[in-house]
Amino acid sequence: MTEPAPLEIVIVGGGTAGWMAAAALGSLLPPGRCNIRLIESEEIGTVGVGEATLPHMKSFNDAIGVDEAEMMRRTSGTFKLGIDFVDWGFKGSSYVHPFGIHGNPAAGNSFHHHWLRALQAGEAAPIEDYSFAIVASRRNRFAFPAEDKTAIESTFSYAYHFDASLYAVFLREFSEARGVKRTEGKVLEVVCDPESGDVASLRLESGEIVAGDFFVDCSGFRSLILGQTLGVAFEEWTKWLPCDRAFAVPTQRQGELTPYTRSTCREAGWQWRIPLQHRTGNGYVFSSGFIGEDEAAASLMANLDAPALAEPRMLRFKAGRRANSWERNCLALGLASGFLEPLESTSIYLVQIAIMNLIALLPDRKVDPALREEYNRRQDLEYERIRDFLILHYHATSRDDSELWRYCRAMEVPDSLKAKIEMFRHRGYIEHYKDGLFTPPSWLSVYLGQGIAPEGYHPMAEGMPIERLTADLRTLREEISRGVDAMPAHGEFVERYCPHPAAPSEMSASEARL
Amino acid sequence: MTRKAERVVVVGRDAALWIVAASLQSAFGRSGVRVDAIELPSLLQEVDVYAAVPSLGALHKLLGIEESVLLAACAGVPMVGQRFSNWAKSSPPFLHGYDVERTPGGDVTFFQYWVKARLEGLKVGFEEFSLAAVAAKQGRVPFTEDDPNPSAASHGYHLHARGYAALLKQLAGRAGVRHRRGRVAGVERDGERIARVTLDDGEALEADLFVDASGTEAVLAGPANSDNFESWRQWLPCDSTLAASAQPLRPAPAFSQISAFRAGWVGLYPLQDRTAVIATWDSKSFGAAQMVESLPVLSGLAIAGDAVVTPFEAGARLRPWSGNCVAIGDSAISLEPLDAVQLHSVHVGVTQLVALFPVDADRLIEADTYNEVVLQHARNVRDFQAAHYRLNRRFDEPFWDAARDAVGPETLDERIRLFASRGLPLLFEGESFQEQNWTAILLGHGVTPASYDPRVDRVPPEEHIAKVQQRLREVAMEVRAMPNVEEYLAAMRRRQEFQAF
Repeated sequence: MTEPAPLEIVIVGGGTAGWMAAAALGSLLPPGRCNIRLIESEEIGTVGVGEATLPHMKSFNDAIGVDEAEMMRRTSGTFKLGIDFVDWGFKGSSYVHPFGIHGNPAAGNSFHHHWLRALQAGEAAPIEDYSFAIVASRRNRFAFPAEDKTAIESTFSYAYHFDASLYAVFLREFSEARGVKRTEGKVLEVVCDPESGDVASLRLESGEIVAGDFFVDCSGFRSLILGQTLGVAFEEWTKWLPCDRAFAVPTQRQGELTPYTRSTCREAGWQWRIPLQHRTGNGYVFSSGFIGEDEAAASLMANLDAPALAEPRMLRFKAGRRANSWERNCLALGLASGFLEPLESTSIYLVQIAIMNLIALLPDRKVDPALREEYNRRQDLEYERIRDFLILHYHATSRDDSELWRYCRAMEVPDSLKAKIEMFRHRGYIEHYKDGLFTPPSWLSVYLGQGIAPEGYHPMAEGMPIERLTADLRTLREEISRGVDAMPAHGEFVERYCPHPAAPSEMSASEARL
Repeated sequence: MTRKAERVVVVGRDAALWIVAASLQSAFGRSGVRVDAIELPSLLQEVDVYAAVPSLGALHKLLGIEESVLLAACAGVPMVGQRFSNWAKSSPPFLHGYDVERTPGGDVTFFQYWVKARLEGLKVGFEEFSLAAVAAKQGRVPFTEDDPNPSAASHGYHLHARGYAALLKQLAGRAGVRHRRGRVAGVERDGERIARVTLDDGEALEADLFVDASGTEAVLAGPANSDNFESWRQWLPCDSTLAASAQPLRPAPAFSQISAFRAGWVGLYPLQDRTAVIATWDSKSFGAAQMVESLPVLSGLAIAGDAVVTPFEAGARLRPWSGNCVAIGDSAISLEPLDAVQLHSVHVGVTQLVALFPVDADRLIEADTYNEVVLQHARNVRDFQAAHYRLNRRFDEPFWDAARDAVGPETLDERIRLFASRGLPLLFEGESFQEQNWTAILLGHGVTPASYDPRVDRVPPEEHIAKVQQRLREVAMEVRAMPNVEEYLAAMRRRQEFQAF
């Protein structure tokens, strides 16, 4: 039997999305099945800023064979146990959305019902005290989760903060070592087959024609092939997610290294703070309809905890996604397929899940529509579920001190979300879905943090004597506190595990504080 | 101010009544909820049988029903799957075995490796790699309880329906359910809500929540009509079902036998003391008398006693929970007695009702969520049943030709297309049947994947062959270690005697 000729896959664009695709296709597809070529131009900047991720990132790296410590060292990486949302529910509030559960491993998804009952009886501490990941975040501790799934120290997972441009550089090396061919150059024209309408080749500035069987569009917001050439429409979600600009600026590293991202609610959007080893990434995501650009930049610069290392740089975007992210023989990844603001660090996750779906559904030279249909169905679910989760942050707030927040409080939200909120408010009910991001603990922390206090709880929680419940809660809280105190400081852990060459040592940092 | 839902009245009969009443009582009894069961006259016949998928075991565990007690009370027989014969004229029977997922080994399932091997000429069918299917063919059943390394096959049951209802009734009583017999004389409504239910002896019952577990009579929910009921007849075309009884099969098979004939199908369900028979067919092309007459030939068994015919229409009530009344079981969802799901809609309904039991008797906003989840489950099971009809290969018989030509449901079309393309079973939210189940029936009915996951090719050919052979050996070995049905039953009897002692 003769082997079929390899599938020629052409990736356009070498940002995080492009190199993640190259790395995964290069390492997970069998040798000889595909030739992978990535075209990028050094003249076109990538959007990569300090990036925060989700725990899924680890399984992506594991699957393609990336060594965690090396990756973190190279990208100035730190660990992340969650996101601290400051001033979101109301001014002066702070809650952590943890990468972990509330309660102990045996409690399943029922912990919060018991907690709500104890709370209403005046017998419970704030819910944060019962989440291992949150307590560790608050105390700036980090260690790997315990292997023993019954231990309280196993009730969390972790993600990374890293420099996305360095990650792309790292993956470029990784991919090239696995046979991915890189071509420097700008794409001048996308040529389609006049008969089938499929993408046939790309004409580069150098004059070279790059033909391919399958094209992965990682060209960023331009959406060069999917949007511009194939004309797949962009479905806009601005009415729910009105932010459309961001200023980003790095600052010197300051203070203890936090194992979490911080998101601070601002007048016309929110400000991120992402701690890397050698610097801190900051940015203000805002809606240009509610604040002027200069004013936004000034607000960001006035709200930094350390000297800026550069001038603020502005990015423009629009919330939404392309109607289909796989059309004909072209699949778009990352910004070329859609954009959701980085409030819940979902950008890299969306790229990762898209790549994994592409691999499972990889077509032959002639694309079977059933594969494309399934891919688009899966991506749609991902986008819509994340969208609803993001809208929840904007909509459920008691802030009314600026125009944006008054707008968001009053806006009509998708029915799917409206029903979810109503059920949580009524009885602490949280939908559990099989596909898509964000499990009940995530919804729980954001509902509560944004100020939705359930009026009731599941009647079964009444079944336990209140004295026993109170005692159990006390024990749990102590157990978590003890467990966290036994962990090293995050900064120390990082310095030992994956020190970045340009990072100040934790020792000198703490001396400086003295 | 919220007012707790403290009083539940369940009006119904047979297994559905007692499952609902016992489940609610054991979930909420300690929280101060009172459950009254109003028992309507039974519609069960001596010949009736319940075939149950393995998930029913989870309900039994919650209710504290020991398997040994269950089997003894219901002349029960454990079974690991169903065998489908004559659904394609020229193909041998196939087994839908109740496999469960093995320890996940990454994203690529073993099935994908089999697809490649098959495309390259492997002659061994996937069935031989299915632990449950192989066990079924050899009449064996794995012990699953208390096993630290649970088997990758699970088992369901064939149960004598009256025995099962009686066992559950006993259990409900022990759990604290109050019960009385009666008939409903009147239902007084206040808008969407039921204000009062009057029984034939004049007693009037009020409750925060009513449950209608009366079966297709839907005595509280009211008759189904085109406004409140979606019919699935275009995909599940049978309109009649019949139960009968025949002599026992020896040795006892570890599966139900489901054979298609020109107007429907006949199922054989081994019990300890007899073989229960169910036929489901289209009475427009095959009269009831003709059906009864043909039963011995179609089942290959001498039929003893009466056959009881019941009409039905597959479909679902669009709002099983409406006002303060929740319809559970056949009062809400009407499926064929195919694929061992007779008790499944009761199980799904009661599970969701426990999860969504009202917190405020005056504001039952849980209904929308309940209806959405229950209907999603029901439509998924409908797809599974409809797949048998849609994928039949009994050409040149009007009934089957029409079933094959039926359009939709769209979700089923999608499932078939994706499986045919890449061997991936497409699962939506709220699936009762999982990847293994879908794989078994789609393959069994002749949908052959045209391609497989590209990662399979990373395994070198020798390693691939070794992997396939090893799996075959493992399955054979594991099945050899399982008891046969008789041994299994004997072990259960010993256990029960020991417990009684």
